[in-house]
Amino acid sequence: MPATMNPTTSRIQVRPATEKEGRKDYISIRDFNFYYGAKKALESISLDVPERRVVAFIGPSGCGKSTLLRNLNRMNDLVDGIRHEGDITINGRSIYDPGLEVISLRRRVGMVFQKSNPFPKSIYENVVYALRVMGVRDRAILDEACETSLRKAALWDEVKDRLQDSALGLSGGQMQRLCIARAIANRPEILLMDEPCSALDPIATGKIEELIHELKEQFTIVIVTHSMQQAARVSDRTAFFYLGKLIEYDTTEKIFMNPSQAQTEAYISGRFG
Amino acid sequence: MDTTDKKTASAPNEERFQVTRLTLLTDLWMGRIIRVGGVGVVLAVVGMLLFLVFQVFPLFVGAKVSPLAPVPMAASAQAFGEDEYGEMPFVVEANGRIRFHRVKDGALVREWVPEAELPAVASVRSYPRDGLVVLGLADGSVREVKVTYRADFSQQGQRSLDPQVVAAPPVPVGKAGLPCVEAWSVKSAAGRLLLCRQQEAGRDRLTALRLTERKGLGGKAKITVGTPFAVAADVPDLERVLVPSTADSVVVVRKDGEVRIYAENGEAIEFLQSFRPFEGSADRRVSAAGFIFGNVSVVLANGAGVEEVWSLYPQKQPDGRSLRRWGKIHDAEALPGAGQGIYPAVGNKCYLTVAGGRMQVRNMTTGSIRWDGVAPESPVRQVAFARNYDRFSVLCADGSLRRWEVEDHHPESSFNAFFGKIWYEGAEGPAYTWQSSSGADEFEAKYSLVPLFYGTVKGTIYALLFALPIALLAAVYVSQFLRPEWRKVVKPTMEIMASLPSVVLGFLAGLWLAPLVDASLLKLICVIAVLAPAALCAGFLWSQLPQPVRRRVGPGWEFVWLMPFLLLAGWAAWSAAPWIESTFFTVKDLASGQNVSDFREWWRQTSGLSYDSRNSLVVGFVMGFAVIPLVFTIAEDALSNVPTSLVSGSLACGASRWQTVWRVVVPTAISGIVSAIMIGFGRAIGETMIVVMATGNTPVMEANPFNGMRTLSANIAVELPEAATGHTHFRALFLGACCLFFLTFVINTLAEVLRQRLRERYKVV
Ligand SMILES: Nc1ncnc2c1ncn2[C@@H]1O[C@H](COP(=O)(O)OP(=O)(O)OP(=O)(O)O)[C@@H](O)[C@H]1O
Ligand SMILES: [Mg+2]
Repeated sequence: MPATMNPTTSRIQVRPATEKEGRKDYISIRDFNFYYGAKKALESISLDVPERRVVAFIGPSGCGKSTLLRNLNRMNDLVDGIRHEGDITINGRSIYDPGLEVISLRRRVGMVFQKSNPFPKSIYENVVYALRVMGVRDRAILDEACETSLRKAALWDEVKDRLQDSALGLSGGQMQRLCIARAIANRPEILLMDEPCSALDPIATGKIEELIHELKEQFTIVIVTHSMQQAARVSDRTAFFYLGKLIEYDTTEKIFMNPSQAQTEAYISGRFG
Repeated sequence: MDTTDKKTASAPNEERFQVTRLTLLTDLWMGRIIRVGGVGVVLAVVGMLLFLVFQVFPLFVGAKVSPLAPVPMAASAQAFGEDEYGEMPFVVEANGRIRFHRVKDGALVREWVPEAELPAVASVRSYPRDGLVVLGLADGSVREVKVTYRADFSQQGQRSLDPQVVAAPPVPVGKAGLPCVEAWSVKSAAGRLLLCRQQEAGRDRLTALRLTERKGLGGKAKITVGTPFAVAADVPDLERVLVPSTADSVVVVRKDGEVRIYAENGEAIEFLQSFRPFEGSADRRVSAAGFIFGNVSVVLANGAGVEEVWSLYPQKQPDGRSLRRWGKIHDAEALPGAGQGIYPAVGNKCYLTVAGGRMQVRNMTTGSIRWDGVAPESPVRQVAFARNYDRFSVLCADGSLRRWEVEDHHPESSFNAFFGKIWYEGAEGPAYTWQSSSGADEFEAKYSLVPLFYGTVKGTIYALLFALPIALLAAVYVSQFLRPEWRKVVKPTMEIMASLPSVVLGFLAGLWLAPLVDASLLKLICVIAVLAPAALCAGFLWSQLPQPVRRRVGPGWEFVWLMPFLLLAGWAAWSAAPWIESTFFTVKDLASGQNVSDFREWWRQTSGLSYDSRNSLVVGFVMGFAVIPLVFTIAEDALSNVPTSLVSGSLACGASRWQTVWRVVVPTAISGIVSAIMIGFGRAIGETMIVVMATGNTPVMEANPFNGMRTLSANIAVELPEAATGHTHFRALFLGACCLFFLTFVINTLAEVLRQRLRERYKVV
């Protein structure tokens, strides 16, 4: 076991940025099959996500991108009648390890959802939610975390004067950025983003992409996107899925410039999907 | 028309966008029907409220008193009397002559003159309602004259009255030779009591005499004349003497304002008590006094316009005994001037008080002034109310008989009577009492709604105390933790429970549960007390289990772990209860003097409160049972409707399931939960059958969990069938309904405001 999960310290510790090269198989998915009841949603997926890199999942709607993403922090456990085969390890440890607390897994693996889902609370409380549930009471820490997260999510300037207002008064794009701020407030090691920019204007999208670049220094990021340009801009590696299968997985450059599969080529050039 | 033609010609597809007439008509009509429904609901509620207000309103209007034509009588008239309908009053002149006048035309119908050979008449007194005239003669004897009216019907069916006068022979009561200044004749249980007041050398003397009537053989009454005896011989300066019609006491007011009570003791009438009214007033002399119907209270007024009510009620004596003694029970509202006369009504506690040129009809118990009017200019000699309180007549010094018609359907009601603390006659102090009927005629109905309010709130609190935690926790558990396949079973089961008629629950509560709880009270208490700690303990042990073991139990199956703990703890508590009872709750049984270990007896003796088998616990439990399904279903719906995206969002932030429920799900569903609580509250507050059947329905005001209560709604259910329509009792019940309406209205409004606020705060996009 290279790393022991320690839920109380993992989020506080920030690995030094100097250590540039991390594990190549930080997240490792092996022969992963996934079923919603009788319906097979993923078929023998194998893929490694290197540490402190950005991996983009692309593919036509319904191909299982979100399903795979949600498996990485076991959000699919909420769904009834699911079943999986194969294994997913993070930093060498299986996420299905019976000794591993799901809660600590989710603290390590943050998530931004496809549809923004702010809590019906104040903006402030939304951002510090993850810290609150970890039992942080110190006002100074909370304030600080709130500000840095909001700044990173490019929302600070818009909401700094109304932190105590309800989060539901924000615009759709602001809500999405708020959810991003919420996901990074407790500094997870891995950030899963399911189409984070689908509701955002180009400026905010640009800011989020900047954020991804910045976060890459510390976090490992998996992002689902329908925008080829975005995938090309932000990711180091890209995985193309089609009908629950992983068609191609390579460096972004390779996928976009010189895909080895005809389906990938067709999808990227916009001939289907 | 040609424009449309042109359009159709240029754009042949135009029709595709046209809406059919049917769609438009349906839309229009459905809109109207729905509006009718909506307005109908509002109208129904408003109508109900109006009906209630309409029923209740007469309780709060005063008396309507309107003058009737006066009847001129002889100027020397000292006293008067009337027949039942006030058609033919009579007056008694100072010389004892009795004259009957017809009201219609004032004509003199009959005249009766005392026999010339008897001693002259020195004083007269009449008892207008009894048709009795008492003449005090110059030789100190007293003579009773009975007036009766015989109704005759002519061929045409016309009614004519024929007054009859029957005079008894004089009975020597006072000291022979001294004129009788005042004379009384009252009927007691044993017979009649004659009293005469005389003056001898500036001293007043009161002498009494009993006439005992014994039915002889053949039904002929034989009257035995007793020997005269002195009453209040120790009082030389009588101001006035009041003799109640029960003849069991004599109230003597002295010139200096001291009131002395002499009460019947065997054959004699002996001194009982003396008091001085009007403490703190400038004038301590009594200027007017009168017994109130029922003969246990006197109203006293003085020259400064102060009016007080003194009454006979049980009082703690220094030696610890409780004896019936006189004491002040009310300070009436100040009179408009010096008190001149107090005249009681018959059949209720109202009286007419004449003071400072005004006449007021007041209610002794509630202190309300029913009517206020101008008194006749000529001094008032005597006042008599008709037997059914629909008229009163005033004999003035100028010989005229003035009459007023009274319309006062609810003399005993007032705001104070329903909501205030009232000192009723015979009670030891002011209290909130509901007691609407009794066997006795002279009984005064007591309509305080406060104990019913108290009972309503008490029942509701006990029910909610039991129901809300269970229902809300169950809703959280079922919606957030239970496996969906179980949820599909639990939810409809609860909904069926909600439709259980409350009469069935009440029946079960009263006939099955109450005896059961009664028999094993302490065991149940022990079991209930132990369940929550057992559950917590199970939870703690669960959290101490290693993760791999916990993982074995799928989410939603954790209750399997809890069950044995609950069962074991419950069983242990159940079996330990007898031991606990014998160790801690052993008391000496008052009846047998032996030690018994009985929690109920212990509770009675240590708390001094009562214990009933049909008590608030049973009601709370069963009413809770009726409330739980309602609260549960609505709260569960609200909780399940919280979007899963919020739950996922919270879980993804690393929150545990409980944190998610507590910090996200519950606040988001809070307005629905408040609705659920409100509906449960509404059900509990209006619940009738369970309370009627499961409690003793005693309107007590005690928080004691081991006795019953009477709620507003149960009160209506129990008493409405026997209340006479339009009677005060009937309207008081409707007032209770009004209060219930008002209570739920206020609480629901508050809850709705709260709910809207919460919804505003926690609304989900
Ligand atoms: N909760 C669920 N229960 C059953 N089937 C599901 C569930 N969620 C997703 N699916 C199915 O699994 C397949 C993959 O869905 P998924 O949401 O992963 O697609 P996606 O690639 O994210 O699509 P999109 O780009 O539209 O978000 C789809 O066919 C979908 O119908
Ligand atoms: Mg998706």
